[in-house]
Amino acid sequence: VSEQPPIHELDPDDDVLMDELRALAAANDPVPPHVLAAARGSYTWRTIDAELAGLVYDSALDAERLTAVRSQDTVRLLTFETAELAIELEVTAAAESRRILGQLVPPGPGFVELRHGGGLLELEADDLGRFDAEAVEPGPVSLRCRREREGAVVETEWVTI
Amino acid sequence: MIVSLTGSMTGLRASRRDPSAIGALVRAAREDDEGAWNELVDEFAGLVWSIARAYRLSAADAADLSQTTWLRLAEHLGRIRDPERIGGWIAATARNECLRLQRRSQYELPFGDELPEPDPAGVPSPEARLVRGERADALWKGFAELPERCRMLLRVLMADEPPAYEDVGAALDMPVGSIGPTRARCLERLRRLVARRGITGADADSLEAET
Repeated sequence: VSEQPPIHELDPDDDVLMDELRALAAANDPVPPHVLAAARGSYTWRTIDAELAGLVYDSALDAERLTAVRSQDTVRLLTFETAELAIELEVTAAAESRRILGQLVPPGPGFVELRHGGGLLELEADDLGRFDAEAVEPGPVSLRCRREREGAVVETEWVTI
Repeated sequence: MIVSLTGSMTGLRASRRDPSAIGALVRAAREDDEGAWNELVDEFAGLVWSIARAYRLSAADAADLSQTTWLRLAEHLGRIRDPERIGGWIAATARNECLRLQRRSQYELPFGDELPEPDPAGVPSPEARLVRGERADALWKGFAELPERCRMLLRVLMADEPPAYEDVGAALDMPVGSIGPTRARCLERLRRLVARRGITGADADSLEAET
């Protein structure tokens, strides 16, 4: 905690130096054009007709689990929830791809679209609510689920796997 | 209409737009106005990228983080309670995602690459003409040698569109009131690191005679 007087905040030399640093970052480490393009393109994915299932558990942020597992463990557990449906994912990481095992809770069949940077994967959950996807490319993913053909649609929050 | 309220070109509490203009962009983006969305991207993409770099994400992870953050904003657009403060929401979302990716990286990938070295042979952007040569080199190296807390704060403040302190606070989980004093201390440390390399700059020249 600083005891410096507020005048330090207003030091014009600090502003000059800050501007220099900003110019350096703009030159040496700018936002890459493809990143800007992807940010603009995200708009087409916005949720209009679906209920949003929030991410309620992520083993990557679970401190107890982190200390308990082996350091080479590459499995991550994610849970998304609405009031009526939970979607549990077990994501296994390899260097350049991810394997996803999914479970709908309560268990039961359904249609699952896996949306990711490369497009859409159409999956089906079996009678026990299980589904899986192989060789998903790393990056942001979201799932869009329907329990029945005419049923309500649930979309998960996007998460980077 | 969006009004630019920038009073000065400095980075001090200089947010390009006022909160009500930002709120108007969010509301327009909810109503299928893709142009408004693109303006939000222009306003905050630099902040998101800077947050990723402050947390030392590699370029590939920073790209993933950025996309996830914008996808999350798109899906939450209709649910944001305080459109005027969307910057804080974006910064906090990016921070959370950084923490996830850092954990992932610890057991899966080599930890994030270092910030790129300055490339004196490269074509300088218009901004880069402000700082060149030895001075740029010394500043960038001095920046990399700063204590972690200073390096993170300054990297977020270096975002293109200078971020509002509220957004910086959300990005680093830091009280807004401590940002100004910490910035002053960190810049002073940076000056000393640069001086040790024997380089003075415009800001130093204004304080003392050139050697």
